[in-house]
Amino acid sequence: MLGNITLGQYFPGNSFIHKLDPRTKILSTLIYIIAIFLADSAVSYGILVAFAALAITVSRLPVMLVLKSVKPILIIVLLTLLIHMFTMPGEHVLFTWKFLMVTEEGLHFGLKMGLRLILLLLFSSILTFTTSPIVLTDGIECLLRPFAVIGVPAHELAMMMTIALRFIPTLLEETDRIMKAQTARGAVFTSGNLVQRVKNMLPLLVPLFISAFRRADELATAMEARCYRGGEGRTRMHHLAYGGRDFVAYAAVCFLAVGLACLRWGSSLCVL
Amino acid sequence: MISLKGLKHYYTDADGQEVKALDGVDLEIKKGEYVAIIGANGSGKSTLARHLNALLLPTEGSCQISGLDTSQEENLWLIRQQVGMVFQNPDNQIVAAIVEEDVAFGPENIGVPSAEIRQRVDRSLAAVGMSEYAKHAPHLLSGGQKQRVAIAGILSLEPKCIVLDEPTAMLDPQGRKEIVQTVQSLNKDKGITIVYITHYMVEALVADRVVVMEKGHIRFMGTPHEVFSQVDELEALGLEAPLAAKVASELRKAGHKLPQEIITDEELAQALCQ
Repeated sequence: MLGNITLGQYFPGNSFIHKLDPRTKILSTLIYIIAIFLADSAVSYGILVAFAALAITVSRLPVMLVLKSVKPILIIVLLTLLIHMFTMPGEHVLFTWKFLMVTEEGLHFGLKMGLRLILLLLFSSILTFTTSPIVLTDGIECLLRPFAVIGVPAHELAMMMTIALRFIPTLLEETDRIMKAQTARGAVFTSGNLVQRVKNMLPLLVPLFISAFRRADELATAMEARCYRGGEGRTRMHHLAYGGRDFVAYAAVCFLAVGLACLRWGSSLCVL
Repeated sequence: MISLKGLKHYYTDADGQEVKALDGVDLEIKKGEYVAIIGANGSGKSTLARHLNALLLPTEGSCQISGLDTSQEENLWLIRQQVGMVFQNPDNQIVAAIVEEDVAFGPENIGVPSAEIRQRVDRSLAAVGMSEYAKHAPHLLSGGQKQRVAIAGILSLEPKCIVLDEPTAMLDPQGRKEIVQTVQSLNKDKGITIVYITHYMVEALVADRVVVMEKGHIRFMGTPHEVFSQVDELEALGLEAPLAAKVASELRKAGHKLPQEIITDEELAQALCQ
């Protein structure tokens, strides 16, 4: 019953975006997010949507798959829209009903925030769809490495993520096994109210935790036996290397950000 | 290669009692030798194994690996590069989520240059016959395959000696066969010293020398023929001799004249046919 859980949401492929260096993808996503917050006009939002559409097309991901990733936050988007609609004070009143009042400004702002959230999630999900968790970990480690001087444990974080990725399937298998063992002894996991169900989870969690700790202990011994002593003096088999396509991607996303900044402040600069 | 002199290891268990896991062990293991260590549960064989790459340190006596004393802190990493260790549970010794990344883990730790790591990984995977699985996820492999990956992970450190602590205890018969064959070929083809701890007597048959342990002592040792033909002595230690040796012993007791050295099925069949 736990067999169909996939790790992350990587969608294997061979597109331009799939082949980008993970660092490029992480940083580009960050730049795009900054660009989202630079946008303030209908034109700039149009450009952002067009850019996201372009990215999805180039990644050759099924469009529905990417759009589906927005589903979990739709309720938040809706809430944002409603709160802004009803609470924003403004001059142009569109509609009043008892104490509720909708203003044009509120509606605008609500739509803007909603669109921002959707674009944010859409674009970051392109990152996670096109990058396997392992490669993503490598990218994060590489990007964090310069911050090691100010005490960011880059290697340790990456190691933790690697081990987590390695052991999630193993622990899921184990959960499945314990569940079956407890079911055979009469435990019920699928019925009852919420409190009941949480209570029923206890005979599952206790053995799972004990075994996880035992695994951790054995793994630590095995790592030590294989000369592991932290990140210092460590080399890597694979080195991340930028290629031509990474510069194309950087150029595109930087162009977008600069363009939006110009649209926002350009007119005032021209006046100067 | 490995030299243990009066090795003792005591520890205090959860009830506050002192346990003499090893109580004076003297053992010399030569370079290129294949030594099997057998013994009942709690005989100290695992504790002994963990001394060989300084995961445990002697309470008393000494443990030297190619002349390096394990109790000296500065020798630690040199010793661990020379003596690799394979553990019982294959799941709990694989670190990375891709086979080749895991094999690269050891050499990455000791700072081998990238290009050489690549070569070592390919060589190690080839040596255990797992090259075609280089890009696989470990959790999708069978027990025997996982254990072979674990052995490759040790091989990539290019050790002179590999200690295997009950590597087949959690495997099915097919997996056991794979491991025994792999280990044998490493010993024969690459001249790697093997210390093989097991409670399956059949697996100890291929060793050059068998060491029998009991309660922290070495009870006796010798060639597999010398050791396994002593059916009654083994039984007194809670160990079961190979079936052929037992049958031969029973037949001898019943008055049949059979040579003393029968321990394998083939030898028994031959003797019976004469």
